[in-house]
Amino acid sequence: MTATIIFLIAGMFAATVPLLFAALGELVVEKSGMLNLGIEGMMAVGAAAGFVTVALTGSHWLGLAAGAVAALSVSMVFATLSIFFLANQVATGLAVGVLGLGISAAIGKNYEGTTVPTMGKIDFGFLSDIPIIGPSFFNHDPIVYLAIIMAIVLWYILKHTKLGLVIRAVGESPESANALGYPVSRIRFLAVLFGGAMAGIGGAYLSTIYTSLWADGMVAGRGWIAVSLVVFGSWILPRVAIGAYLFGAISLLELSIQGLGFDIPSQILSASPYIITIIVLVVISRNRAYIQLNSPRSLGQTYKSSH
Amino acid sequence: MKIIQNLMKVTALVAVATASFVMPSIAEDKLKIGFIYPSPAGDVGWSRELDNGRKQIEEKFGDKVETVVVENVPEGPDAARVMTQMASQGAGMLMIGSFGYMNDGLKLAAQQPDLKFIHASGYKLAPNLGNFQTRNYESAYAAGIAAGYVTKSNTLGIVAAYAIPEVVGIINTFTLGAQKSNPEINVKVVWLNSWFNPSKAQESAKSLVAQSADVIFSLYQDTPSVVSVAEELGVYVVNTSSDMKKYAPTKLLASLTIDWGPHFISQVQAVLDDNFEGTAYWGGMADGAVGIGSLSSDLSADQTAEVEKTMASIASGSFHPFNGPIMGQDGSEKVAAGATLDDGSILGINWLVKGVETNLPN
Repeated sequence: MTATIIFLIAGMFAATVPLLFAALGELVVEKSGMLNLGIEGMMAVGAAAGFVTVALTGSHWLGLAAGAVAALSVSMVFATLSIFFLANQVATGLAVGVLGLGISAAIGKNYEGTTVPTMGKIDFGFLSDIPIIGPSFFNHDPIVYLAIIMAIVLWYILKHTKLGLVIRAVGESPESANALGYPVSRIRFLAVLFGGAMAGIGGAYLSTIYTSLWADGMVAGRGWIAVSLVVFGSWILPRVAIGAYLFGAISLLELSIQGLGFDIPSQILSASPYIITIIVLVVISRNRAYIQLNSPRSLGQTYKSSH
Repeated sequence: MKIIQNLMKVTALVAVATASFVMPSIAEDKLKIGFIYPSPAGDVGWSRELDNGRKQIEEKFGDKVETVVVENVPEGPDAARVMTQMASQGAGMLMIGSFGYMNDGLKLAAQQPDLKFIHASGYKLAPNLGNFQTRNYESAYAAGIAAGYVTKSNTLGIVAAYAIPEVVGIINTFTLGAQKSNPEINVKVVWLNSWFNPSKAQESAKSLVAQSADVIFSLYQDTPSVVSVAEELGVYVVNTSSDMKKYAPTKLLASLTIDWGPHFISQVQAVLDDNFEGTAYWGGMADGAVGIGSLSSDLSADQTAEVEKTMASIASGSFHPFNGPIMGQDGSEKVAAGATLDDGSILGINWLVKGVETNLPN
């Protein structure tokens, strides 16, 4: 039983990292008024580029950086088309996502079915030796903690800094932000690139550290889950993060329950992470006025700024 | 999403395939054989084994044949398009490598009686369309014996995709084999309900190990994800399709291997001799179609001999893994003492044997 508890808690932290990076990135993107539906493809590009880099250099940090840069480049295509050429964001996002999946398959072609060593875990000394607590919380690779730090830093930036205010203003009312002298297009452009890089890191974590093997299509829908987490978390960062961890935890719980032999059809168990995460996020977000306050008013609308 | 992605790939691949078919062929009477795989023929896995069969054809027949491959073709309209394309470019024979290609293959087979098909794992036949499968339940029994020997917790874990009869049959004989060498065995199964999700497969393996399983069976997982994580966790692992020793150099207990070569060669020979008949081939140890690869050296000499003896008796027909008496999960007698489950019942098996703790999803 202890082993299962450790598996669930420790597993949750690691399983959530790809989702959390992608969802945090998408949150910033959507807060600026852009809707990037190509996250799945960008994660896939990040995963492939990250994997090839780790296979060649052996450095996971370089792999994560390569994943970020590769996915950022793909997101630049989306940003350019939808911001400077005013293309429809939904259509462009989907198209660029498909492009990303194709690029990902091409990058990883020669590495199909190969593995790389995973990243080492941080040693917290005596903390790592505490029964249950140690292996659950203090036995992870650095990126697990980086993801949590990233969530806190982004929460602070969005909520309490001028930069955050500007991003939100651009997403709420690009007209007003533009009239105040903010370069709306440039801010949105940078937000999209940031979101792309975050998705790339999430993908690279998945292929080089979490599963540490390359197989075409291995992102397996996580990009879409990230997009829905942002929406169901009603654009409030702590809720998005809670949703991501909840999803990670239940998707592992489902597997443990199957092994324990409970008489619940496995198809229902397989669907449970989606169902429970949606229910929980909908319940905590049932205050409609509050949602409207937090959802970016101009989300998905194209806007041509004058400077 | 996946569909659109595959669509794009297929379009590109069809273009490549077309180009290679259009290339002027020097010898006019060469038999062109098209191969269609459902996934990329990577280092290991299902499509890799089909491709090894193709290579054996090329080795055997040399200049008399010309093979063309299109990989990663999704089941459905894309597969139909690739087949038609290959046919119109002069292919005389098609190897269609996925269950879901069946109906499109049959349709084309009816339109083009001169085009011969061999189809992986289907159940419908036509005069010019045969199918082929392997009796992996035979090799699973042998691997089960090895698993029964090495387990200390008496708990085996299986990571399986879907509860289709073929998978259920393999789980049953693996369990029966393990019980032969270790009567205390119980088996836990995690159903992924997905053909392809390497990360989830790995999580499943970890969850089984957390529940004290010390031998993991990676059942029809096309990637080495479970095998490599077993090495990391220090538990033994059994896998299907290809020999995956290099992904778990110290912990691979056994690989259930497949060799399509002999069957492919006999079918190509039949086409060349103009006596091809659409037959159902279900190759087992007797045909050399299935076997055990990289049996772990951690087994003692006696244990290895026992596994090999069992394989020999399965191959000779003196022993059948589904020989009675076999008890079902609920304790009822499924196969009486002295009886053996017939092929039809094995193909449609929908019950688990006693000792498997997880229920079948219904």
